This record gives sequence, C-alpha cells and structure tokens, in this order.
Amino acid sequence: MRVLRLVKAFIINNLPIVILYTLSFHTFDGLNDFPDILVFSFNLHMIIIYFYVLKFPEYLGLGHIFLAGIVNDVVVGIPLGTSSLSYLVLSFFTSYIKNATIRAKMTTEWITFIPALFFSNLVYFIIINNFSHLSFYYIELLRITFFTFLFFPLFYVIFSNFQKIFNKENRN
Amino acid sequence: MADSRDDFIIAIRYALLKKSAKQKFSLFFLIILSILTITLDKLSVPFVQSTRAVLNDFVYEVAVVASAPVKLVVHVIHKGGDHLNTVEKNKILIEEMDKLKYDHNKSLFYKTENKFLKKALNLGTTYNETSEDLLVVARIILDRNSPYLKSFLINKGRKSGVINGMTVFSKNYLIGTVIESNYLTARVLLVTDLNSKIPVILQGEGVNAILTGSGKESGLALEYLPDEFTLEPNTIIYSSGRDGFLASGLQVAETYLDKKNKIAIRPLADPRQALIVHVTTRGFNN
Repeated sequence: MRVLRLVKAFIINNLPIVILYTLSFHTFDGLNDFPDILVFSFNLHMIIIYFYVLKFPEYLGLGHIFLAGIVNDVVVGIPLGTSSLSYLVLSFFTSYIKNATIRAKMTTEWITFIPALFFSNLVYFIIINNFSHLSFYYIELLRITFFTFLFFPLFYVIFSNFQKIFNKENRN
Repeated sequence: MADSRDDFIIAIRYALLKKSAKQKFSLFFLIILSILTITLDKLSVPFVQSTRAVLNDFVYEVAVVASAPVKLVVHVIHKGGDHLNTVEKNKILIEEMDKLKYDHNKSLFYKTENKFLKKALNLGTTYNETSEDLLVVARIILDRNSPYLKSFLINKGRKSGVINGMTVFSKNYLIGTVIESNYLTARVLLVTDLNSKIPVILQGEGVNAILTGSGKESGLALEYLPDEFTLEPNTIIYSSGRDGFLASGLQVAETYLDKKNKIAIRPLADPRQALIVHVTTRGFNN
C-alpha cells in the first residue's frame, strides 16, 4: 500500500516528465489500424513543453526535454539531437514569451504558440534537410503542426485543472 | 529605440542563461550540447557509431516494454474480432486454398519451363530459393508511425549476422532492406518509404520502371513508364535486378483497383500485418 502511494505521489509530482518519456518511447503502432484517427495526429510533446515551460517550469526540467528528444530521435530513426534541438528552441521561445508577457491569458498564449511552433519546426526541417537523406511530405507535417496548435486549448484546460487539483492536495 | 533593443536583448539573455530553482542546466548549454550531438552524429566518428549502437539497443528494448500495454489491448481487440468471424473466414480460406493449390501446381510447371528456357538462352542468375545463403528469422519488435521514415525494428542485429543492405522478406515477398544494424537490433526501410527506389519489371508486359514508395502505409508508384502506357489491374511487379543490387524475379508489388476505381499499386507483403520476417543475402545479385 505504501509502495502504491509512493508510486502515485511520484507520478503526480512528475506527470509532465512521465508523459514526455512515455511519448518518446512509445511507438503507437496500434494506431496504424485506425487510419481515420491518424488524420488528427498532433505533437503532444510540443504542447507539454510549451505549457509547462510557460506556466510551471519547476515541473519540467530542460535536461529531461533534451533526453526525451534524444530518445525520440532514436525511436523514429532521425539524426541524433534533432528533436532535442527543436524542443529546446521551443523552450527558448516559450521562456522569451513568458518574460515578455505582462498579463497572461489563454488566448494570447495560444496565439504566441504559432511563432514558437514555427521556429521549432523550422529548426527541425533545416536539420533533416541538411544532416540526413530523408524525404518527407511537408503537407503532412503542416497538418500535424496545425492540429498541435488547434488542440492546445484542450490540453491547456486539462493540465491547468490537473495542476490546480494537485496543488490543492499538496496544501491539504 | 535603444531602450526597447536593450529590453529585447535582456529578455533573450534571461531566457537563454537563467536557471530556475529546479533546473540543473541552462538552455544555452543544452542547445550547444544538441548541436554537438547532431554534428558528431553526422561526422560518424567510430566511437560515436558504437555509442549510438549501444544507445539504440537500449532505447529499442525499453520502447518494446513501453509499447507492450497498448499492443496487448490491440491484440485482444483483434483476437475478439477474429473469433467472431471464424466460420465465415473458414469458408473463404477453403476456397482460397483450393485456388492456391491449383496456382502452385501451375507455377511449378512454369518454374521448370523457365529454368529450361533460361538455360537454353544462357541468361544470368536469378533469385534462387534453394541457395544456401545466410537466412535469419527475425521478429518485428517496433513499428513507429513516423511521417519521416517508414521503417520497423527487428530483434536481430550484428550478433546474428544481420548487416546493412540485407534484403528482408515477409511471406516470400520483398518488404524492405536493412539500413541500420546494431548489436542486438536492426532497422528495416520499407518498400513503401519515400526513399525506397527499386528497378522493376511488369508481369506479362516486360516493361521496365522504377517502383517508389509514397510514404503512405501501402501506397506505391511507378516512375519512368513508357509514354501512353496504361497499367492493368492484377499485374504482379517483379524486381528487374538492373541496379546490380537486388536479384531479378523477386515479387514486390501488385496493381489493383482502389475504392475510386482507379489503378493503384500495393506491396505484396503487407507491412501492417508482418510479424515475422526473413533477413537474407539471397536476394542479392552476388
């Protein structure tokens, strides 16, 4: 029972890190059987990094972001460090937005997600094009980026509520 | 003007160098580390290659464990569906088996005739099923759904004799080639990948073309077909061996009529259904 409680506490304390690593290690091959769902593919990594670096940076270390990127590169089979650099560029923009914003609102944070996503993906494309021989469909990546942007408010609400509940539990 | 520029520089410096209470590394340090990793990976220094192979093996093994719960759920759903459709499937399978028996006997005749004719014409070597080349049976451990690379990972690596460039078959059909071999695992590039280009010959017509992947799960395309050439459905596409890499006569793909009644091409080996594959050197023109 004590072990279970400890595991629960660990997961709650490190939820973004747990999700980030799980997503990186996970292959989602089961989803291949549902091609209709795949149309709505989005990058949850980027949503988590943007949200937590912006709102709760104390819960998501930059070292973990770097390592999760390395793991993602190995699993996907792209040059090592590509995702890491892309995620770190996203973190950099997020930190800048955080410092430059005076009154934070969900809508403004949603809009500022566009340049952050743009620069992060730009770094990604540059590395893939110059450091590997891989070809890919730009339109597919544009679609994934679009749905990443579109689904951001949904996850914003989910993660905000989770942190509210978690902080309340901690205070009690 | 100067003030706003200073503010901008301060904000950027703050974002790059500032470490909050729980951060062990600054953003600047990690960005430099990432650039260094990419550069070392690109340069392919020997010690980096071996480190990457060890890292690959470790991450792949962890990824297999991490993917297990979802795989189990999908497996249970599939098994449930299979049980419900058993009787109907059995009828279809009996019919298909009769047809296959007939086709098999017919192909045995063509095979003998082909050998005889090739001998008579004094033509070169083709794919020989009975040759004693290295054959490794491997299991697919991961099949990452990525927009960049249509590939899968197998549980055999250099330890079992799997090296880069070996051909991979699923149920006797060409499914891909090994592009990365680690000590315990290897990555196979599928024929459906955008980077895959295979010189092929069309059944019956004898027309040469290049079969390319479309980056989609099952889509393929034929390039460099003769002008005004129209594809017929149910045509088998074989490797022509013109690249000097793959042997000729490997069954790769077939044409079919899709839902919109247009002629499309799909690989004979379905990457989504493949579970056990054969990695071999026998498909080479060696």
